[in-house]
Amino acid sequence: MATYDNKIWLLKNIRDAFIATDDTGLCEIVMAGEDFSKIFQIKGLEEKKRIKEARALQPGTSKIREGGDSCEDFEREIITQFEPYPDIDESEDEDPLGSSYVRYEEFGGYRQRSNTSQWLDKKEQALKKAAKIKVIKWEDSSPLSKEQCMELFPTVEVKPPEKQKSLLAQQLENCPDLPHRQYLEYGKFDGTAQLGLQTKCFKIFMTMLSEKHQNYPLVVCVIASAKIKDLIGFTCYKYSIEHPEISLGSVHEYGLCIAEDDGEVDWAFPCLDANEPCSKFGFTCLGLIELKNKKSFNSPPIPMPDDGHVFHLFPKMTDSGQSHNNPSRHNTGGSQTSEAVISALRAVNEEKKSSEDANLEKIQCHIMATEAPQYKSYKVQLLRKVRTNTSVQLGISLDRIEIEPLVTHKHVFWSNSRSKYFLHSIESVAWCQILETRGYRTTFRIVYSPSQKNNSVSDKNASEHAGYSHLHTTYKYHDFESDHETAKEIVEKVNTILDLLNSSCRREYKISKEKKSQTRRSFHTKHLS
Amino acid sequence: MAGDTTASLGGSQVALVTGGYDHTIKLWQAHSGVCLRTMQHPDSQVNSLEISPTSMVAAAGFQHIRLYDLSSANPDPVTTFEDISKNVSRVGFQKNGTWMYTGGEDCTARIWDPRAAPRTRCQKIFQVQAPVNAVMLHPDQSQIMVGDQSGIIHIWDLKTDQNEQLIPEAEASIQDIAIDPAGKMMAAVNNKGNCYVWSLSGQPPHPVPKKHITAHSKYALRCKFSPDSTMLVTTSGDCSAKIWRTSDWALLRELRRDTQRWVWDAAFTLDSRFLFTGSSDSYARLWNIERGTLEREYCGHQKAITALAFKDQPV
Repeated sequence: MATYDNKIWLLKNIRDAFIATDDTGLCEIVMAGEDFSKIFQIKGLEEKKRIKEARALQPGTSKIREGGDSCEDFEREIITQFEPYPDIDESEDEDPLGSSYVRYEEFGGYRQRSNTSQWLDKKEQALKKAAKIKVIKWEDSSPLSKEQCMELFPTVEVKPPEKQKSLLAQQLENCPDLPHRQYLEYGKFDGTAQLGLQTKCFKIFMTMLSEKHQNYPLVVCVIASAKIKDLIGFTCYKYSIEHPEISLGSVHEYGLCIAEDDGEVDWAFPCLDANEPCSKFGFTCLGLIELKNKKSFNSPPIPMPDDGHVFHLFPKMTDSGQSHNNPSRHNTGGSQTSEAVISALRAVNEEKKSSEDANLEKIQCHIMATEAPQYKSYKVQLLRKVRTNTSVQLGISLDRIEIEPLVTHKHVFWSNSRSKYFLHSIESVAWCQILETRGYRTTFRIVYSPSQKNNSVSDKNASEHAGYSHLHTTYKYHDFESDHETAKEIVEKVNTILDLLNSSCRREYKISKEKKSQTRRSFHTKHLS
Repeated sequence: MAGDTTASLGGSQVALVTGGYDHTIKLWQAHSGVCLRTMQHPDSQVNSLEISPTSMVAAAGFQHIRLYDLSSANPDPVTTFEDISKNVSRVGFQKNGTWMYTGGEDCTARIWDPRAAPRTRCQKIFQVQAPVNAVMLHPDQSQIMVGDQSGIIHIWDLKTDQNEQLIPEAEASIQDIAIDPAGKMMAAVNNKGNCYVWSLSGQPPHPVPKKHITAHSKYALRCKFSPDSTMLVTTSGDCSAKIWRTSDWALLRELRRDTQRWVWDAAFTLDSRFLFTGSSDSYARLWNIERGTLEREYCGHQKAITALAFKDQPV
């Protein structure tokens, strides 16, 4: 048993463990921006540099600087808190934490068989195979006599073959249109009987087909280097061979989602990325879905004719209420029935449109949720009450908001002492919203509380914005200007992050806003929506 | 039909087999393009494939010839012929499947006869001075043409063990030899892209030079006569298969495809209307000769296809 006390090393391994063992790939997406090993490497180098400089300043070190080699030795001695364990590759334990990543079999928790027993198994199978094969070695037999030769190799009379019809030609004629031909190129990803190549088997449920076809999954074996899109193509190829009566669409119309053993697709997770290799995913049960079901349902709305001309859809409408027996009910166009029909048509169309929009919104929300925590920077204008607006780079990430002035040569004299770098911890950001749109420019505001954990390096001049105060918390804000699309994206991103984290600062601000809106019901202020 | 995917093959069915560098031999349902079965050919590439009259397929590889049973679902060979020091370049069968003949880099051509009784065994060996690239049995079953790397074609009379030598082009390695099913013509291609044709007449058949075709600008690989003897196909490293009319040696068709690379092997259908080609782009293809169009592509090999064999059935 071993104990590990290096926090950095432990953190790195925990992060790697999450990424390696997560079959859905979401851990990787979330943690992609934080390459701890690199961060710690950089920090380690900086620390070393600092220590080295500090030591160099001490007297009596000039002797060490003579030889280049000794300099390196000297550096090697410096071990910072950011170092992983030394010689980790030569560790006696042979990556003890690595073995814990080994996934167990689906049923039961027995550990995987050791390499030796697997190797012995393979050997045994190879021997069994070889035993079934008849081996004939060349034997130099005694030379055959002439008589023997004449007997063994008689000359056969050669007759020119008569013209024959080919069975293949006939088969070709009978099978002109083959459904699997569009997927032929995916045939090469077949993993069956491939020696020396890693293969991966999947059970694919054809969830886009009708119920009766969904019950039994298609077992597919592909080479491990095949991508998800190749797996989709090969699945279509194999399925259309086995079921030529069912027509499948283009490979681009389909996606693969994680599914349960019984074929139930997990709609919560997005489709597997088509460009990722199959070997990356641990899930063996997948569902083939039509991509358009995940997007908005694009059925066209029922044509809405002009009022009063709905009759061409419902020819009998002109006869509505007509009765041979009751002449008073002739020609009642504009009757209640036709009105009801028109309003029903309208309702259906609106519902379709709103469900389209709802689906679109859902997709966009989903995309926003996954992309929001990732660092992104935008070039916007920072608005100032007293001075001219300055171009800044607004960097937004899961833990901070950075405002970095972009100094152009023109303004170098005017603005070098004016523009300052702002860094706000996300914990201190309370609000973000669009203020107004004027022509092509949109103004938006980020509200923060300087009294919270805040590393801002702002000078006193910058903090002259009027603040809102509620009880003990003072709120300040930065106003920015940008084009509409960027502003919208920034506001959505910040709000997604703020909602995710839901810091105390944000909660307090929300409470204070509510109270204000209650007390200022009669006012229409620019700042509060 | 396409849905009828029997993994094994009876004697009455059409068989297309391909092999190459990916250590597999694939059996295809020729009319649909579907791979029916994949057989394993470990440790070496496949230099040559031939389907025997008894529906076995022989694969010539490095230091061995492996025999697979097409009518079973067994992915492994049933028989292995061993004890060969180097690559076996070509394999063929006697008309009735009684014996098998090979040629190899060990400068020999051999007749293999695995029959039990030693008395009836007709195992023979023919030694030449250079690696053997091509061996072809005359339809009269008593002569084998042996082409070697030094450019010599040996006509090995199996009855008398005598041999005649032809040198169409000095120092140009013979890559393949073909004899038409009527036994009237012999063709050979070499690594300069040249094709030489002889007429064979008399008993024993005696070759008389007939034609020299500058078939390809690069390495020629295979040559074969059509079953009706009206056409000769030559394949080459220039990425094409060319079909020549035997009556006047005019070029009938040049079969090319953008993605097609070296065409290593070819085979005609029984009615001489279609041609299979196997290429190092890992695709085998079926061409309609009359139209020059591509009918089918066989996609499944991971690496180059270097050998192809086709057995048709008469209707």
